[in-house]
Amino acid sequence: MIRIEPEPWAAMVAHARASYPNECCGAMLGAAEGDTKTVRQAIALENAFEGAQAARYELRPEDLLAADKAARERHMNLIGIYHSHPDCDAYFSATDLRNSCPWYSFVVLSIQKGEFHHANCFLPNVDQTEAPKEELIY
Amino acid sequence: MAKILIPTPLRQFTAKRDSVNVPGATVGEVLAALTTEFPDLRKQIFNDEGKLRSFVNVYLNDEDIRYLGKDATPAADSDTVSLVPSIAGGAAN
Ligand SMILES: [Zn+2]
Repeated sequence: MIRIEPEPWAAMVAHARASYPNECCGAMLGAAEGDTKTVRQAIALENAFEGAQAARYELRPEDLLAADKAARERHMNLIGIYHSHPDCDAYFSATDLRNSCPWYSFVVLSIQKGEFHHANCFLPNVDQTEAPKEELIY
Repeated sequence: MAKILIPTPLRQFTAKRDSVNVPGATVGEVLAALTTEFPDLRKQIFNDEGKLRSFVNVYLNDEDIRYLGKDATPAADSDTVSLVPSIAGGAAN
């Protein structure tokens, strides 16, 4: 189960709306106690995908390294990644799965006509063959 | 003994430690020592052929070892090794 506190949640939704009609992406910092995760801070990261970003995103490893460093300095943990699906539902696509990392929770925000619509969270497996849903509270 | 920073979700395999010091003259030796000490980590980092998984990048301090000497990159005691994921995606299948 992953719970996103109101402040980071508002930041994530604002980031996703501001990036519309393109996809946005970012990192989620917080605490993890076993399978219970709490997101306390969201860090907006640049979508580094070269090409049309309406249906693609890419994170720079350097930016993830910096996010992990920031988390350690703030006595938090890097626990998840978020990205948006403009005018699409919040599913975990084949592209998402193929480019995923099983270490993190993946929150997908559906933005329809520029407004937040719904969100889901996924936990991809190590072989990148499936990504079951993780309970998401926001 | 280079220091390896352990990503949060992998600390379940390292007795909850957020960093581990292991011996090794190169990054390859350091990673081998890490996964020998904590065998459950191996599957998270290496595939069945013993190669780094496609989503794993290894950084020595702030540099991707792919642009240094790869596995043979020398690792000194003062160096920090980080495991950094490659992550991308998109709504398009
Ligand atoms: Zn996606």
